[in-house]
Amino acid sequence: MSMRPWLILGSLLMAVSSQAQWLNYPTAGIPRLPNGKPNLAAPAPRNRDGKPDLSGVWDVLHNRPCPPEGCQDMWIPQEFLDIGWSLKGGLPYLPWAAEAVKQRMAENRLSDPNWKCLPTGIVRMYTTPLYRKIVQTPGLLVILNEREAMYRQIFTDGRPLPEDPQPSWTGYSTGKWQGDTLVVESSGFRDGTWLDANGSPLTESGKITERLRRVNFGTLEIEISVDDPKAYTKPWTVKLTQLLKPDTDLLDYYCVENEKDRPHLVGK
Amino acid sequence: MTKTLASFMLAAAIGSAQWLDFPTPGVPRLPNGKPDLTAAAPKTPDGKPDFSGIWTTKAGYTGNIARDLKPGEVSFTPWAAELYKHRQETQGKDDPQAYCVLSGVPREHVVPYPFKILNATSGRTNMIVILYEALHSYRQIYMDGRKLPKDPNPTWMGYSVGHWDGDTLVVDSSGFVDNNWLDNGGHPGTESMKLTERFRRRDYGHIDLQFTIEDPKAYTKPWTVNLEFTATPDTDLIEYVCDENEKDLKHLVGK
Repeated sequence: MSMRPWLILGSLLMAVSSQAQWLNYPTAGIPRLPNGKPNLAAPAPRNRDGKPDLSGVWDVLHNRPCPPEGCQDMWIPQEFLDIGWSLKGGLPYLPWAAEAVKQRMAENRLSDPNWKCLPTGIVRMYTTPLYRKIVQTPGLLVILNEREAMYRQIFTDGRPLPEDPQPSWTGYSTGKWQGDTLVVESSGFRDGTWLDANGSPLTESGKITERLRRVNFGTLEIEISVDDPKAYTKPWTVKLTQLLKPDTDLLDYYCVENEKDRPHLVGK
Repeated sequence: MTKTLASFMLAAAIGSAQWLDFPTPGVPRLPNGKPDLTAAAPKTPDGKPDFSGIWTTKAGYTGNIARDLKPGEVSFTPWAAELYKHRQETQGKDDPQAYCVLSGVPREHVVPYPFKILNATSGRTNMIVILYEALHSYRQIYMDGRKLPKDPNPTWMGYSVGHWDGDTLVVDSSGFVDNNWLDNGGHPGTESMKLTERFRRRDYGHIDLQFTIEDPKAYTKPWTVNLEFTATPDTDLIEYVCDENEKDLKHLVGK
């Protein structure tokens, strides 16, 4: 059987030793039940400006059944493997993109930038089963990721997207509120980005729209629309769910540190 | 050489696409439109100095963070003296940064890449965040009054809590990794390191930083460094990916 990505991720996580004190400082301002546990069904918090506050440490929704022997430490969601998992008929790949995905899976995902400890891009930042923290400030929202200490900036100060930004894994993002939904437009991506472990491509022509809505204290819904005419026959939209992780915090996670897997990735 | 490494990596930023030149909102400006870096330091709604913005450190400290100190002020323990000598003699070939592992604190203060300070004290996330362009890393400084954890998981950035001493932001940190490099020269930092930083925004354009290293495993007495950051408005951080197209590592042979 081929090496599975979640095994690799799992082995990397082992680098975090468990002897020292865990980060268990109680998160301030969390509504709590009489027994002291967080009331995750409470209404979403709001900032002084009346807008919802998306701040918090977020985890993926674990929607992938565990194997009989039990869940992996790095319990990936369905969308980690296939971002179009929820779409009938799958993603509308252009022929070259369909061929690329087939090839990448046939090679056991050997060419996945993830294995080389490269940035994962903004979609995989959401589906990687490590925590991320949203920090919302006036004019700028930042997402801090455990994985590789990657961060992402979403400018909410009204600026337009640059016309021809330096292509990057993370792209350039601006956001504005539509009611209680933060609508984030992003472009400026680089060719060679993978949207999932199957290798669904994103190219320089890609534009991504995210609609973030905190439906209650403990749940964040993220609707992601990808419009990339170089890779897909039409735009497509998927919805991700993120769950609040209270009373904990981000830990260092460095893929490049003590990396032992790459020599063992042989493909087919 | 690590210096060569750093400059090589910078060259990965190609110049053909549009640069990030969006004018920073709220910057005081001279009649000619240029930022007035000598204007008064801005304040947050609660009256504290606002350190927000993009900053660049004073050049010259990347190789030796203690370059301004007199001989004897950095007093190594025997173990650390040996380690420092080894790192010098092997020309930094074991530098974690050469392996694309991030710089950590306080080394991030002396690398020649901009960083962004983000004031998130007004919302529910009561902290100050620093985003570093170098090796795309970040640091959280908790401002909610919590204490340092007694035995945190060791990390490159450590665990940081801040408080105000008048207009000075005082940040106490511990919980660092044991194989820290404080600069390209290889000044050691260990798990016993405690770092105290005092940030003062002197005017719009400048932060004076004084930090003290107390690390009894590596140094027989604390030592203190003064640095200056300059505001770098009307631009932004760009993506820095060390482990992409990395060509240097195999050429780092040391002695």
